[in-house]
Amino acid sequence: MSLTLRLPPETDSVTRLLDALEGFAEEHDIPIAAMARLNILADELAANVVMHAKGATHLEASLHHIPGQLTFILADDGAPFDPLAQAAPDTTAPVGERDVGGLGIHLVRQMASSVEYRYESGRNILTLTLADSAK
Amino acid sequence: MQITKSDTAGMTVAILDGRLDTATAPAAEGELMAMLAAPGLVLDMTKVRYVSSAGLRLLLKMAKEAKGKGAKFALVALQPAVREVFEISGFDKIIPSFATVADATAA
Repeated sequence: MSLTLRLPPETDSVTRLLDALEGFAEEHDIPIAAMARLNILADELAANVVMHAKGATHLEASLHHIPGQLTFILADDGAPFDPLAQAAPDTTAPVGERDVGGLGIHLVRQMASSVEYRYESGRNILTLTLADSAK
Repeated sequence: MQITKSDTAGMTVAILDGRLDTATAPAAEGELMAMLAAPGLVLDMTKVRYVSSAGLRLLLKMAKEAKGKGAKFALVALQPAVREVFEISGFDKIIPSFATVADATAA
């Protein structure tokens, strides 16, 4: 079972992507907890492309579901950029000194079962996997 | 994102319904920041399915603003995916959360 979407690199696309993922999850009886986790990570990665991918003309998202596992792939044709290369943020600083830079990618790293970046045929490609179960 | 405002025990309570993410957080910001005043604001998160880092950015801004204004700021009824994001980001240590609105206003 899979879903593929090709969208312009703009904020509205993030909403369209998340709505489509929610629809897919409902249709295929994917537990709400797994769907929520997937959507958080899709939001982080797609927002990253929309805000930082220089020269991208589109983003392409696909979701594949096999029993036990969800695989989400996000590609864009912008300049090469590996978001996973960012340093981990300080998650222990008190409120006054807190900054949220890098937090999105930190969530991706912590919540996905696996995540990898590659640049291939002029495209940035991020692939992440996560369990399709409630925990 | 739908936001409904009410008052409980002198505190403002904002009931949020929807996602707090890249697309919705900027629109929610103006409305929520306007409600932030002493004695305090409680966000009822019962119907918030998840919060991404864009939502965390807004919540952190609100926590800082509340501190500056001497207002209380608390969250209520974090759903599992929201709680998970809070724990991973360390936000559970900087923004108080409670099981119910009554617990939050009594704290």
